[in-house]
Amino acid sequence: MLGEYGVMMRLKAYIAVLPLCALLSATAQGATTPAGTSISNQASVSFVMAGVPGSAQSNAAAFLVGEILDLNITSQSPTVSVSAGDTNRALLFRLTNTGNGTETFPLAIDDLVAGDDFDPQPATPAIYFDSDASGNLSAADVAYVPGANDPTLAPDASIGVLLVNNIPVSAVDGSAGRSRLLARAATGTGTPGTSFPGQGSGGTDAVVGAKGGQAEALGQYLVGDVQVSLAKSVAVLDATGGASPVPGARLNYQIVINVTGSGTAHGFVLTDPVPAGTAYAAGSLRLNSLPLSDAADGDAGELVTGTTPTIRVALGDLTQTAGPQTIAFSVTIN
Amino acid sequence: MKRIQIFAAGMILAFIATTAMAQERGCILLKTVAEIEKIDTNERGEKSTRLVPAEKIVPGDEVVYTVSATNICDEAADHVVIDNPVPQHMKYVANSAVGPGTDVSYSIDSGFHYEKPAALKVSNPDGSQREARADEYTNIRWVMRNPLKPGSVAFARFRARLE
Repeated sequence: MLGEYGVMMRLKAYIAVLPLCALLSATAQGATTPAGTSISNQASVSFVMAGVPGSAQSNAAAFLVGEILDLNITSQSPTVSVSAGDTNRALLFRLTNTGNGTETFPLAIDDLVAGDDFDPQPATPAIYFDSDASGNLSAADVAYVPGANDPTLAPDASIGVLLVNNIPVSAVDGSAGRSRLLARAATGTGTPGTSFPGQGSGGTDAVVGAKGGQAEALGQYLVGDVQVSLAKSVAVLDATGGASPVPGARLNYQIVINVTGSGTAHGFVLTDPVPAGTAYAAGSLRLNSLPLSDAADGDAGELVTGTTPTIRVALGDLTQTAGPQTIAFSVTIN
Repeated sequence: MKRIQIFAAGMILAFIATTAMAQERGCILLKTVAEIEKIDTNERGEKSTRLVPAEKIVPGDEVVYTVSATNICDEAADHVVIDNPVPQHMKYVANSAVGPGTDVSYSIDSGFHYEKPAALKVSNPDGSQREARADEYTNIRWVMRNPLKPGSVAFARFRARLE
């Protein structure tokens, strides 16, 4: 039989931030005309003169579409729960070229944001590209080196950017610290409408767009304590209605997960192997009394089959406010 | 029968010949100009608008197209009709087509049919119909109410926004 401690150990290994798959979805659909496109207009006329029909074409009045310098940054992780003293905590942003020409965008970080409770400390390096699109800082992510690998984006293309900070040990529970990502068009910034003759894509003129050729977005760290505790219990039911753990007897397990503190336990996944010498009772998995199917599908739970069949329930982000979570399942003694 | 056919063929030949003549004479000179509005502010802070040649056009900008038709022959031109497809990558700006002495109509099928806005219908996915939006117009037509006299100029103008 599994003790509470055993479940705890496995839990620790599985508590991880789930990949933010939704953030990798395609960029906004772009309908803007690419810089360098020639736009031509030609009219025609028909008429009748002395009973004879005639027609004519006009000249083609044409101009080249200039490059508009425009960009957008959105925070993909508006608030990240951290603990005081945490290192290399990442905030995820998405930088999109909303202009109509291929453009390079130098980046910068600003941790001295007014209006928050503490200043996060930029890690070294402090800006990464989310190269593996995991949504968080990982070994495959490439560090940003100003002037060396400034991102160059085609119209409507976007890139995931991570700001990486350390949380001061002095940061108190419940306090917030903000960090800002800034980006600008390398061709130029300024009052909307400012023009840079000949500097746009394909030798066209570049014109500063509505945002002034620059953009910024804030992310926030929220310091919070969080403790997760689990209590596992079992009830035995044998064929005679007694409680003897004999072959054929049913073991009804219950695991209650309790969260305390102001923080959030991110991407909480509980796994518990079916004890050796027992067989999982098909269809017995429950979350807060509601049935979960055994298959890996839309619901939170599944029975992972294999040499050691394992119960797996992905509970997502857990907070104290959400209340205790109760998982139940049954096995039969072989 | 044979005689009629020959007669018909002769008619067509004559028609082609005179049409070619009218075109060769180039009796209407048609010109298109693309401009944008520029706002000037004088020393007293008063604003005035003038049209300047279209350059530095970026998505979202409005271009003013002016078409002029000049009768350079010595006879009046009847049934003068000016057609202008809305340029690619551009959307017609609602209520912007004007032309003194003309009736303006629009097409939403690349110029096969022209109608007044109220008669231009688009089918909704559910089968019902709605009036076409200005940005769905594909062509604009100006029909002159009166003949264009020798030496006279007719103007047609519209605005379009670059996508």
